[in-house]
Amino acid sequence: MLMMPAHFSAGTRINPLQAGIRFVSGVVGPDLRDGSADAPSQRANSGWIAVLCLTIAAALLLVVAGHAAGRRGYDVAPPLFWSGVVLLVAPTGLRIAWPTTARGERLFLLFLLAEALFYCKMVYSPTSFSGYDEVLHWIAAEDLITARRLFLSNPLFPIGPTYPALEILTTAIVDLTGLPLFVSGTLLLVILKGTFIGALFLFLESIAGSPRISAIACLAYMGCSTFFLFDSMFSYESLGIVLCVLTFAVEAASKDLVGRPRLKSLGLIALLLASLAVTHHLSAAFAAIYFGALAALEALRRHDPLRIKTSIAVGLAAILAIALPSLWVQARGIPLTGYLGPVIESGFDTLLGKILGAPTPRSEHLGAPDKALYMRLTTLLALLLVAVGLATGFFRSLAMAAPSGPRSGWRPIQDIVKRRWRDSRLVLLSLLAFGLPVSVAFRLTIAGWEIGNRMGTFVFIAVGLVVAVSIVHFWQGRTPRGWRRIAPAVALVIIVLGGVTSSSINPIHGRYRVAADQESIEPMGIETARWAKEWLGAGNRFTTDRINRLLLAGYGRQDVRVTIVEGIDPARIFEAETLGPDEFWPLARSDIDFLLVDLRLTTAPPVLGFYFQPWEAQQGAPLSGAALLKFNDVKGVTRIYDNGWIVIYDVRGLHESL
Amino acid sequence: MRVCSKRDLLAACLWAGATVAAVAVSDSLLLRTALGAPMVFLVSGHTVLRAIGVRTTSALEHFVYAVGASLAAGIAGGFALNAAGFLTPLGWAVWFWAVTAAAALVAAGRRDTPDLPAWPAPARVRLWQGAALMLALLVATGAYALAVRDEAAYREFKYTAFWLLPSAGGGSGRITVGIRSAETQPQRFDLEITLDGQPFAVFRSIAVAPGDTWAREIPVPVLATRQTAEARLYRPEDNRLYRSVSTLVPRI
Repeated sequence: MLMMPAHFSAGTRINPLQAGIRFVSGVVGPDLRDGSADAPSQRANSGWIAVLCLTIAAALLLVVAGHAAGRRGYDVAPPLFWSGVVLLVAPTGLRIAWPTTARGERLFLLFLLAEALFYCKMVYSPTSFSGYDEVLHWIAAEDLITARRLFLSNPLFPIGPTYPALEILTTAIVDLTGLPLFVSGTLLLVILKGTFIGALFLFLESIAGSPRISAIACLAYMGCSTFFLFDSMFSYESLGIVLCVLTFAVEAASKDLVGRPRLKSLGLIALLLASLAVTHHLSAAFAAIYFGALAALEALRRHDPLRIKTSIAVGLAAILAIALPSLWVQARGIPLTGYLGPVIESGFDTLLGKILGAPTPRSEHLGAPDKALYMRLTTLLALLLVAVGLATGFFRSLAMAAPSGPRSGWRPIQDIVKRRWRDSRLVLLSLLAFGLPVSVAFRLTIAGWEIGNRMGTFVFIAVGLVVAVSIVHFWQGRTPRGWRRIAPAVALVIIVLGGVTSSSINPIHGRYRVAADQESIEPMGIETARWAKEWLGAGNRFTTDRINRLLLAGYGRQDVRVTIVEGIDPARIFEAETLGPDEFWPLARSDIDFLLVDLRLTTAPPVLGFYFQPWEAQQGAPLSGAALLKFNDVKGVTRIYDNGWIVIYDVRGLHESL
Repeated sequence: MRVCSKRDLLAACLWAGATVAAVAVSDSLLLRTALGAPMVFLVSGHTVLRAIGVRTTSALEHFVYAVGASLAAGIAGGFALNAAGFLTPLGWAVWFWAVTAAAALVAAGRRDTPDLPAWPAPARVRLWQGAALMLALLVATGAYALAVRDEAAYREFKYTAFWLLPSAGGGSGRITVGIRSAETQPQRFDLEITLDGQPFAVFRSIAVAPGDTWAREIPVPVLATRQTAEARLYRPEDNRLYRSVSTLVPRI
């Protein structure tokens, strides 16, 4: 039976409507069971830790075997991989969520789980960066090591050079240690993952006042779709989210300080915010939103003797969080509106169109990429469990912020409505959890998917807290028995598994797929790019499809072009069945030296919906071989390289004939 | 119990000095990694934290903040060294040494530098637990090594690359023809080269083992008109055209 007032079971006659309302109120209401969330302090159990380390090692072996089987296209790959992931997450997750586990043990296991999940991401491609964004940052880091100068242009990633913090740190490690770039980048990511978990734990512990709630919230955060893959990539958001959460942790830890100690904390916050401003635009924007909203809530708050000093400190942090990224954008002349604006605009337009029943835009006709049914079901179940956690935890989280501790009924919420609360951070995070339904709605559209995905990274901090409060104060209580011990922990495990299943189309290394970002990166493409560097030299002007462009820029060190001439995309040249005047003359007038044609593009439609640029709308039909090979018969064009799948054409002869 | 000592500042300065020396004189990956990685991730941030005077209440909090401050020091270093045109290994070592030394001096000179938080008591580990931890580490490391080996060993696409290029300098009257095998078995090929459709050179039974490259630079006559060189690769067993490539021979 769920937690309800005692008179429900007393057998007295009551109105069914009233009973229903009281039941719902008992379930979703602000009642904080048992007051304190933590069982009496215990020592960490080394026996459990040792057993769980062995279990995780066995799980990692299964994951590696899953990737190996996946490379060969064996059917056994998913059972191997997913049994490894379940073995990794389930026992450790259960132990972290167990009510009586010691703080130190919870922390150790959280670090272990986070790093083990990172390991699973690494063994997908254990010797090189394979994500599309990863390769972009790797190219930028290579450029920095070669030229020993910042702000070098990058045609594939125009905004990247203006946020060079990740590349700076990686090259610092390369230069000081002599390690290869990939190893240095991986080392940095390992440290970032651990720091993120530590900072998130400290932040949530500061505001919830409970290591148990904090640990469960960190575990629930691992259910975020970006935790497993996106924020583990060699990409600027992986550093940005760490700096962002660090500033929150430092600010929250200093919430009870006044005078000089508070100013010192503000100094550290300023240092971290300045670093964040040059690291990642969206993380900096989120920090600005968080501190701005916190300052607004502090200004709204009533009845606190420290209010003015606290408000000033929070206000200063907010000013820094808003001013520093803005100054950086102004100083470097970063075209942030041009970069993010179209994505945000089309995302909002599509979502509003869906809500209002407007005709579906062309981008939405592509349909989502295929994903295994069991992965979709796990994601759905995890989302459902998160929703239940939010429903049963929202008012309880708010009640934790009420001024006079746990009280029965809706009095704590009345206090909040009257602007009386103990901690604005708790109120803000509780409200921020509402961002989850919005991010899920965005993820249901093609155009808004990016917004929903990025939002999830930040919104899940709040979601984790609310779900943890729900588990501790409603589903479990301080000393749970029977199913209350197990079921909430199992739900958490499913939420974490949902984070893995929602992280990508297929987290298992599979066979080559057409235009599928990291699933399209394999040795033949890489070796062709290396051949170009070895036999043609670096810096030739190439154009090709999206994946080979990336490989040529990264492994081949070529000067890749995303347009033929101003206003003419490569797609127009490659997709046309014949090289008519509209294609021939732009190509002849251009300064392109070589075209690379990948005949594998003719074997299937693009998995992500486009071969060349994201804004092309494909109709689901693969490119024709005749279209790609039409350059064979063009005077002035020679076919200098052929490996059966990939052909390179030399078009320099075209320019001479002009 | 908190630790009230400033010996950590001296240790940090010595560490930074040792890193500068290692980067300046040593190529040892192990030594430079042992000294340099903690410098980037922890040591500089620890002294910065002490210089600012932020009071931390637990070892975890101190470590996490120190990592954050180190990352900030590193990022600032990137901009400073870029401005100075000194983004080199020695430049980085000097930067981290300067940050560490300056922060340590500030922290040492302050009267209100907070004490370090107490270290948590070490957990009691029994023999079987230690053995289990070591075994887990071995299995995880071994699994990673297997993943590396498998990635290198398995190739989805087996292919033979064939190319024909004008000489790199242009106009020197040479063309380069090459074959590279990424097959699983040794292959044999016949190769024919034509100039403007006229037979020019033939190579019979070229053997290329998996992973090997066969390449030849061939002198060609240079004329006032542009000629097209074409190379065709045949497999002797069926004498069918396997690959065909071409290039333009530069004019005089």
